[in-house]
Amino acid sequence: MTARRRSHKARSIDRLAHIQAGGHLEEQTPRTLLKNILLTAPESSIVLPESVVKPVPTPQVVQTSRRESSRGSLELQLPEVEPSTTLAPGLLAPGRRKQRLRLSVFQQGMDQGLPLSQEPYGNADASSITSSLNLTFATPLQPQSVKRPGLARRPPTRRAVDVGTFLQDMQDTSLALAPPGDSLRTPVTTLPTDTVLEDTQPFSQPLLGRSPTVQHSLPCPSHSGAKDVERAVGHRTWSSGPRLQNSGPGKPAQLMAGKVEEVDALALGFPNTSSNISGEDGVEPLQNGVGEEAEGRMKEGLSMREVEEATEAQGSARAEEPEEHTEVTEAEGSQGAIEAKEPEGSSGDEDTPGRTASPELASSTPEFLRARRLQFPEPAPPPSTAVLTSEPPETLSARLPPRTRIPGPRPRQDPYKTGLNHYAKLFSFYAKMPMEKKSLEMVEKCLDKYFQHLCDDLEVFAAHAGRKTVRPEDLELLMRRQGLVTDQVSLHVLVERHLPLEYRQLLIPCAFSGNSVFPAQ
Amino acid sequence: MALSTTVSQRKLIKRKAPRGFLKRVFKRRKPHLRLETSSDLLVHLNCLLFVHRLAEESRTNACENKCGIIKKDHVLAAAKVILKKSRG
Repeated sequence: MTARRRSHKARSIDRLAHIQAGGHLEEQTPRTLLKNILLTAPESSIVLPESVVKPVPTPQVVQTSRRESSRGSLELQLPEVEPSTTLAPGLLAPGRRKQRLRLSVFQQGMDQGLPLSQEPYGNADASSITSSLNLTFATPLQPQSVKRPGLARRPPTRRAVDVGTFLQDMQDTSLALAPPGDSLRTPVTTLPTDTVLEDTQPFSQPLLGRSPTVQHSLPCPSHSGAKDVERAVGHRTWSSGPRLQNSGPGKPAQLMAGKVEEVDALALGFPNTSSNISGEDGVEPLQNGVGEEAEGRMKEGLSMREVEEATEAQGSARAEEPEEHTEVTEAEGSQGAIEAKEPEGSSGDEDTPGRTASPELASSTPEFLRARRLQFPEPAPPPSTAVLTSEPPETLSARLPPRTRIPGPRPRQDPYKTGLNHYAKLFSFYAKMPMEKKSLEMVEKCLDKYFQHLCDDLEVFAAHAGRKTVRPEDLELLMRRQGLVTDQVSLHVLVERHLPLEYRQLLIPCAFSGNSVFPAQ
Repeated sequence: MALSTTVSQRKLIKRKAPRGFLKRVFKRRKPHLRLETSSDLLVHLNCLLFVHRLAEESRTNACENKCGIIKKDHVLAAAKVILKKSRG
């Protein structure tokens, strides 16, 4: 409302000049007339604003009559438009400031009997009021602030409550996240204790709601149940990802009990570990920790699956859902099934056809795992599908000797990942927008690919020049081919823009005293 | 959700080039080649520009989808374009 009035103001200035030049009203719309009224000098008395308000709305009940009256008022005011032009800009400034006040005054006028639909005429009222009340706007500041008590008082009360509940919720989530591990170990028996342990806070309830769904999915061999649990677990990993990272390695230690609990542990432990895995650095140690403990309770192939998962991750062929990969591969390990490779080969075929084949398995628990395993062949991006398909056969053969590959890839992963992490942080800095953690992993993968291409290109360029050392000229040629360096933009310009001073001095030759140039060419 | 899954911008960005990391990566891939001192920095510059273009492209993708957060598929689509451009 006020913004529109301000825009009207801006336009009305032009129109006023236009009208003055024309000497007569071109557009005889009520809006333009009223704008002129806004700008023209006050005609009515300043002392009694109310008396102005009342006689103004009363004759303006009918539109036509109102127009005439406004026109009449305008005609009266037209000869005085010129002398009032000097006043108009001065009026505009207080007018703009006081537009909100004008609105409240307008509302007063409205309350006094104006129909709401006739808003432009309400503007007329306001305008006439302003014309008369321009000088009085300074005084009614206090009464108008009093006239709007509801707007002033509402915010603080709400905020105080929100912060308090929020802090409570934060504390209770930390409490609520600790017990669910115990609750899911013995699902049936500890249900009443869960309700005792966890307070009546909103965050504990979704976890509670998910634990019964986990149990329900196990007995009934329905795909939908498995799906829901996976989704619920997936959601839970999302929500409690960073928190559970700490408790992740601890949880597998707790879940050493029998098979039924193992499945629950799988459902929870692996999402936690997968969230760990899919998280930041230190992939390997977490995987190793989980692998050692997993072996104690599951079959041997499980740890191998994790190791293979690690190698696959290094192969930078992770599809869009690495969490499900880790869950699935660990499920595969529990099955010791080779059939997993077939769905891997067929990339993109969805979960449901795979899951329809699953219910024929003997027990519900392996079927649950298998259903999640068959989610593994997610549609990977085209450049990475080739890598994916090439890697699984290798991992198949390597699955047999357990644990020998764990110390191998480890030194490659950690410093490599930290280096990529550096550039991923730069990515998030350049993007200037919040990003998902998954997208940072994607960035790291892209960087890996980029480094491969870069090294290959540099090798080709150096060989083309008959050298075995990569020199800055090769780099310049590369950047020229990439389109970064053009005839308009030279390499030195880019160096100056993006690198800090110390590197600039090293790269760009600069003349110093004594006829010396650094760096020497 | 109390815990956010997005990364905030409040971390300081270090401007140092990870020269040892770059040299090690190059050595791992092409052990028969050598990398010069200055070209190390230029490789870092190239990486910066690549990341910059990638970030711009993914930000454009995210804004086109009217998302306030850069998601994985935005980055993926951007990466396809930018990797194609950076082939050389």
